[in-house]
Amino acid sequence: MDRKERVAFLVDHFGNPRHKGVLEGADVQMPGGSPECGGSVVVYLKGDGNGGIEGLAWTGQGDTISMGATSIIMERVRNEDVTLREVLDLDYEVFVDSLGRDVIGSRTRNATLGLSTLKNAARKYQRDRRTQTEKRASA
Amino acid sequence: MSEQQIEQKGYAHPEALVSTDWVAKHLNDLENVRIVESDEDVLLYEVEHIPNSVKIDWVEDLNDPLVRDYLDPEKFARLMGEKGIGPDTKVVFYGDKNNWWATYALWVFRLFGHDNVAVMDGGRVKWQAEGREMTLEVPSVPTAEYPTPTRDDSAIRAFKADVENHLQANGPMIDVRSPGEYSGELLHMPDYPQEGALRGGHIPGAANVPWARAAREDGTFKSADELKEIYEGEAGLAGGDDVVAYCRIGERSSHTWFVLSYLLGYDKVRNYDGSWTEWGNSVGAPIER
Repeated sequence: MDRKERVAFLVDHFGNPRHKGVLEGADVQMPGGSPECGGSVVVYLKGDGNGGIEGLAWTGQGDTISMGATSIIMERVRNEDVTLREVLDLDYEVFVDSLGRDVIGSRTRNATLGLSTLKNAARKYQRDRRTQTEKRASA
Repeated sequence: MSEQQIEQKGYAHPEALVSTDWVAKHLNDLENVRIVESDEDVLLYEVEHIPNSVKIDWVEDLNDPLVRDYLDPEKFARLMGEKGIGPDTKVVFYGDKNNWWATYALWVFRLFGHDNVAVMDGGRVKWQAEGREMTLEVPSVPTAEYPTPTRDDSAIRAFKADVENHLQANGPMIDVRSPGEYSGELLHMPDYPQEGALRGGHIPGAANVPWARAAREDGTFKSADELKEIYEGEAGLAGGDDVVAYCRIGERSSHTWFVLSYLLGYDKVRNYDGSWTEWGNSVGAPIER
């Protein structure tokens, strides 16, 4: 993709966000960002109990880069059946490269808002699962 | 919205604003007028924009990439040439967030002596609310010759030493940040830790008037009477005052600079773009909470 196509790709995701909405029965609801500064999102995550992702959705409002990039990462994770562990291994720099440095410029924080919140959601899910397991073991 | 409605608002320099009607009538006058979109959301122009408008990105176009400063005169001349702006072109700015970044771009243009400038009252939101045409098409504007200008920072820009002198002289200052930043509770805006400061509070004696209070819900500027009530009635300014406005990096305060200079007619208003990221990090700088 050239710069024009990369911009069009982001703008398309901004105008037609994928997997946007509240996920009923989510295990984790993770907020991130700030409405005043680029944008804010809530990531809804439901795990499958075996390290995989059963359900993933998001809500939010903000600028073109933050909302477009959130939609892109959500679609990528869903389409490629990325596991929770793999979510935590996703590299911010690689993601920004894929969006295009010439498009994102210095707004890397906006571009990674969705991904960072998704990682936080994955961490919380794993933490909660560990706590449950420990409780069951000590019961 | 028409020019008559702007006239009725009683500004000192009503010519500094144009209406959405005016822009609609002049957007094909590529020879004399350039409509410039400048947004906080830097891809909004790519989503859609006013036909025949060009984009100026406040980070990539107006800032020096290395030194904390604005672009140099050669780069400004080159940028103007690319955007088809000649030294006499009337440049009309519009943008998102109550024209916040539009006024910032206008302020930078003024540093280079480009004085034939105006803001479209109401900005992007107003244009869209009126159901006016937007496009994806990027216009091919004729490149222009722009002689390398001289940048004069003295009239409308304050450096830290200027602010220190202003403080000594008990000159009035307006801190346009949010009340939380002014009181020192917040050291930076949420999610902008890179624009933080080691100390919180405000410059002693500065009055707090958050910048967006100058705008109405529809994005247009409040009337001169309403603005006077805020800046003179509440913040204690008086016509003829030498005023310094500041925020965190000088962008929000450029909006207040525009309001005081053009809409209320204050002759000496300077924007301290070093703002709190400089003052709040400076050793020994006096701070009030």
